[in-house]
Amino acid sequence: MIKEENTIIPGPALQILPWVIPALFISLWMIVSETGLIPTYLMPHPFEIAKAGWIYVFANPGDAPFAGRFLDDAGASLIRVAIGFGFAIIFGLPLGIMSGRLSLVQKLISTSINALRAVPGISWLPLAMIWFGIGIKTTVFLVAMAAFFPIYLNAAAGARQINPLLLQAGAMMGVNRLRGTFAILLPGAMPHIITGLRLGLGISWAYLVLGELTGVPNGLGAVIMDARMLGRIDIIVVGIIIIAVMGRAGDQLLKTSLKFCFKSARRMS
Amino acid sequence: MKPRLAAISKTSPRIRETILEINNLRKVFRINGSFLTVLDGIDFGVKSGEMICILGRSGCGKTTLLRMLAGFLAPSSGEILLNGKPVAKPGTDRCVVFQEDTLFPWLTVKENIAFGLRGRTTDRKAFDEEAERFLSLVGLSEFRDYLPREISGGMKQRVALARVLILKPEVLLMDEPFASLDAQTREEMQNLLLSLWENLSHTILFVTHDVTEAVTLADRVLVMSKDPGRIREEIHVDLARPRKWEKSDFLFFSRKLHERLRD
Repeated sequence: MIKEENTIIPGPALQILPWVIPALFISLWMIVSETGLIPTYLMPHPFEIAKAGWIYVFANPGDAPFAGRFLDDAGASLIRVAIGFGFAIIFGLPLGIMSGRLSLVQKLISTSINALRAVPGISWLPLAMIWFGIGIKTTVFLVAMAAFFPIYLNAAAGARQINPLLLQAGAMMGVNRLRGTFAILLPGAMPHIITGLRLGLGISWAYLVLGELTGVPNGLGAVIMDARMLGRIDIIVVGIIIIAVMGRAGDQLLKTSLKFCFKSARRMS
Repeated sequence: MKPRLAAISKTSPRIRETILEINNLRKVFRINGSFLTVLDGIDFGVKSGEMICILGRSGCGKTTLLRMLAGFLAPSSGEILLNGKPVAKPGTDRCVVFQEDTLFPWLTVKENIAFGLRGRTTDRKAFDEEAERFLSLVGLSEFRDYLPREISGGMKQRVALARVLILKPEVLLMDEPFASLDAQTREEMQNLLLSLWENLSHTILFVTHDVTEAVTLADRVLVMSKDPGRIREEIHVDLARPRKWEKSDFLFFSRKLHERLRD
């Protein structure tokens, strides 16, 4: 793999670069809190947050409100995201690829899908609650609904923009339709597919919290909602930070595992 | 596998069976409601082991002709017979080397070359040996693990050549494959093609707009005219190989072809 060497900034400094903004942000926060510029009932001191976070993650359940709930909440949320995102992939990828290649399929479904796409995800919430009740099903439905569109659209774009000569070259080398799909079409569309999956996973987290705000007993969204009702702003911030970290880690995990599984993901991005 | 690869001796008499027959081929495109005849009355035969150049200026329909032979396009009328059977769709009996880069960017040089071989054999060792053999035939053994984006244009065309030669096609169709290469690389590639052709005795149809290339390569040159595309003249280039462009008999043929292209 050829990568352009960056000569302006030395290597070790590059490693630090991603952390500059978070570090600046926390410093600023510290200053603001220490000087009392912003009252603590609006934004608690970073140390307070750290303490609340510690209790939430590591303390024994029952010692204090929210103590030790982390594993339970994170686990519940992860399962919901995984199932919803999984459904989005199962429907979004094949439909997208077909719509990108087959004009009949495209004509048949693209208008409807684009109409559905125009509906803000939150409008599905009341309907989903009536259909599925409060709990995992509603959340999974919302996540799947939201993640479907970027996955579908990008897969379609990827399948559409593939160089037709690559498919012709395949046909001339005796590749049948099935093998052509897996050996040429999917790898050729891979950069777009990856974009779609990453966007889809990102939006999954957003709709996860939306689904969990409806009053489920556990999950990261539920924690934030509970904390709001109890006036525990520190726990709200802890929840936000945990979602940010898990979202970032999930994106990294997705990228890494795609690269691990597919040559095309390894070699074309 | 049929013994197609068995080298036909260069000294053997030149009378060979016709393997490809093109009869009264015609192609009409419909563009914005009006009809455009791109090719008309194309009639020729190709003998086994022959190297034919189709020479014409851009827009004369030579690429369209090649795409029909490959089976990517259906003729409007007329027929294409390979070993007496009509050509209907793309197949490994007629392989194409394209002008553009059509290697799979996610596969290494070796994987690209072996691509068409997948599914033909289950014997992994034979598969690997065959891939290595064709890698070395085009002189790319050291670059087996490179990706297409990491190699030069000339090397890419070597890969494009090897990945179809490995399938042992009856006819090799080449669509200005060296047109985008620099002069030195083009000459190298022409020599490589000639030596492969002499060793493997493929039947080759080579489309080009370059007179020197046609005289360098061809047994027979089909000169095409434009609007509609027809075969204006057939010229046998009976020069011994290797042919040098500065020799007088070479110049005689190139002058002759230049004239035919002009008027």
